[in-house]
Formats: sequence, structure tokens, C-alpha cells
Amino acid sequence: MIAPDVERLPKASSRPEAAFVVLLMQSLFWAMAGISAIPFAIAGEVFMLGLGIASLLLALATVFVAIGVIWRRRWARRWAVGLEAVCVAGSILLLVLPLGANRGPVALIANVVLPIAVIALLRQPAELTA
Amino acid sequence: MFDIAPDHAIGLYSGLLALPLAMIAIRLRPARHMVPGTVPGASVLMAVAGAIHIGLIGTHLKESFTALLFLLNGTAYITLSVAFAWRWWRAASATLIGATLLGYLVYIAFGFDSPDQVAIATKLIELTALGLVLVPVRGEPRESRRTWRWTLVGVAVPVLTLITTSTVWIVDLKRPDAQHVHAGAVLQATNDVATPEQTAAAAQLYAATKSAIEPYQDWHRAMAAGYRPGGPANMPSTHWMNQHYVDAGYVLDPSRPQGLVYANTHHGPVLIGAMFQMKPIGQLGPDPGGPLTAWHEHQDICVTPIGFEFSLMTPFATCPIGSIDVSVPPMLHVWIVDNPGGQFAVDIDATVVKKIDRA
Repeated sequence: MIAPDVERLPKASSRPEAAFVVLLMQSLFWAMAGISAIPFAIAGEVFMLGLGIASLLLALATVFVAIGVIWRRRWARRWAVGLEAVCVAGSILLLVLPLGANRGPVALIANVVLPIAVIALLRQPAELTA
Repeated sequence: MFDIAPDHAIGLYSGLLALPLAMIAIRLRPARHMVPGTVPGASVLMAVAGAIHIGLIGTHLKESFTALLFLLNGTAYITLSVAFAWRWWRAASATLIGATLLGYLVYIAFGFDSPDQVAIATKLIELTALGLVLVPVRGEPRESRRTWRWTLVGVAVPVLTLITTSTVWIVDLKRPDAQHVHAGAVLQATNDVATPEQTAAAAQLYAATKSAIEPYQDWHRAMAAGYRPGGPANMPSTHWMNQHYVDAGYVLDPSRPQGLVYANTHHGPVLIGAMFQMKPIGQLGPDPGGPLTAWHEHQDICVTPIGFEFSLMTPFATCPIGSIDVSVPPMLHVWIVDNPGGQFAVDIDATVVKKIDRA
């Protein structure tokens, strides 16, 4: 039986909503990375406090961008694509350089697949209007 | 946590195999045109999660209850991934994903399993699928449910992500496997009990190293020899590294240890040990003392060039902004002060450093 809420939809794309979910996940990951720096800052690594706060601010900014994406704001799409492009470039650089960076499935999904997914989901500017 | 358990690897292959199959299967279904795009997306992710669980049955047959849970859960995931046009699909999928996540956390909390890359990757897929299941899409009918679903997306997904991360991390730190001596440090695998020859070799290495670094009790001489402090000076101890010795790649040479360790006391740096370091990442050094002189390497630590500080990478593989995930080449410490953990322990006991500071 087809549910009433799965009637044929108007010509609206759900890509922004899917991108919102991925951006929300990423913001949570950055928030946890920020929180995880705090014990090290307490232990005496003072710069880690700054990095932790920067990570929390990035997480907050990502949530705002995600909300902007839901509202189909053009600026949000641009910021999201720019942020994810930086993430992908940085992650690939880390994977290529011989620094012993983690190359496990979680790192690949979280740092490469998710950012590429956001870029792919937001690749159609026509979907979003200012 | 950052390894793949041998009996879980098959799950990863199953999931990778299921991904294209699920995408093709959903594309072939006309019903996909009648639902928002987030629904087929969630269905594909649920099919992958289900395939991972089904794939794990074969390697868990001796644990019949676990195998049964994998079968039931995998079947439920795959069934729901197919039935995305069902009236109660969202409620059923959200319930199943939530129950699976919480069930797994209970499972690892009670020690029935240890978190590894396959498990954490599956949780990442499930959390993303949950978000896609719940998120309302513009233009959908039943406006009255949008508020309820937005509330769930805004609360349930973050809370479950936070609980999952915390539980996995706590379990991993509290119950590290035999090779993980402390957070981020992996110990070289050796025989369990040192042979008399290994004991003699360890004593010889200790004596030679202690004698060789004796002049560096005066930190000015260490500075003159090319050793430089790294990391914050407000920590109990600091590693002073000799970049020339690091680059030269001397292997376990007592006269040329790559690092010296000084306690940061109120009366200046006090030499407490030396550190040998291999040049290549992942290549352990010679181990003359067997279990007494096992090398260790720090894997998946987040290092920042600002002040050379570090933290640990989260289970979902993220580092604080401005730091990068690295693994440090294997190292072996030699402690010339009385260290309760041993002369070659991974760490110096904090009480020892405090005692030196008070002296």
C-alpha cells in the first residue's frame, strides 16, 4: 500500500535535504573533535584549546550553512561546496603524503566520501534560488 | 578501533558488493519516482548496512546468538530497503536503525565485541541513513508531521551520534587490545617472557645507553650536541630531538639516541631518559630484549605544528581544525631514573617526575 505522504511529488528536489543531513553529520564530527581537544588543553597543551574552539566554531558555522542549504540559499550552496572542496583536497593530500595518516574505511567515508557526496548533491545551482 | 578485525573484513566486502546492487535494484523500481530522493538514498545505505551484517554471519557461527542477531538485523534492513513505499516505512526504519545503534553500544559496553573499523563504518552509514529517513523534504504532503520530523533530525541524530562516539571511544580506551598499551600507542608483538639471553641483552643496552647519555645531564651539552626541545614547556616532561640523528636513521645506537627526555622542573630540565626512534613509519626496530625492549608506535594522533601539540583522532576519524592525523615512527624509551613501569616502559610514571621536581 502506498502511503499518503509518498504521493507523486511536485518538481522539487530533495538534494538540499540530503546535503543537509551530510553537513549535519560533519558538523557533529567536528564538534566532537573540538570537544576532544579540551582535555589535552587542560593537561597543558594551550594551543589545543584554540584549535578545539576553532573546531566548535566550524561545526556551528557548518550547521548554519546546512540550514541555508535547506532554505535554498545560494550563498549557503557556495559555502558548502567551497568547504567540502577544501576538505576533499586536504584529505587527499593527507592520504598521499607519507605521514602515516589513517586510510581505514571510516576515514575514507568521513573525510572523502561525505564531502564528495555534498558536492555532488549541490552541483546543480538551478535548484537553489537566493 | 582503527584496525579491521579479521573476522569482520568479510562484512566490509559484503557491504561494498551490496552498494552497486542496491543502487541498481532501486533504480529499477518505478516506486522510487513516488518518494523523495532522500528515501532511495536511505534505502541504499540500509541495504549496505544489512549486507554487512549478513556477511558477518559466517565468521560468527560459533557465537550463535550474535550470528542470529546479524541474520535478523540484516534481513530487516534489506527488507526495509526494498519496502520504501510502505506506509510505515519511516517509522519502522527509524526504529530499526535506532535499536541497532543502541543494541551495538550495549553489546560493546558489556564486552561482547570490540569496536573496529567495520563496526564504526557501519554505524556511520546507519546514522546517515537515519538522518535521510527522518529529514522532511520540501513539497511533501502531511505538513503536520514536518515539525515532529525536524525535531527528531535535530535531536535524535546528534544525540545518537554523540552517544555512539562516546561509547566507542570509552570502550576502546578502557579495554584496549593486548598490543595497545595506552591511548594511541601500539606495542610491538614479542614473546611473553624474556629469555636469559634477552634479559642480558636488555641490561647491556640499558647500561650502554645510560653511560652514553650521562654527559647530557647538563642540558647545555645536549643543546650543543644538536638536541632541541619540542612541544610545550609547561608539560611534566619534554622530548628533546636531534634532527640530524633522526634523518641519519641510526638504529638502536646507544651513543646516538634520536631523543632525550627531560623532566621540566622548577630548577631546570633534568635528564630522565633517552629515546630511540626508527626512521620509517611502521617499521619496528631490532628487539634484543624481547618483551623487555618492545618498541611502540603512536598511531592516529592529531598533531598541530603550532607548538607541536597533539590530541587523539576521534572514532569518526576527525582531528581538531589545524591539526593533522599522523602516525609516528616506532620508538623505544630508556629511563635512567627509577620508573615503576620499567626501564624501557612506554611512559615515565607521573609521580617520578613530580618527585624529581620536588627534589
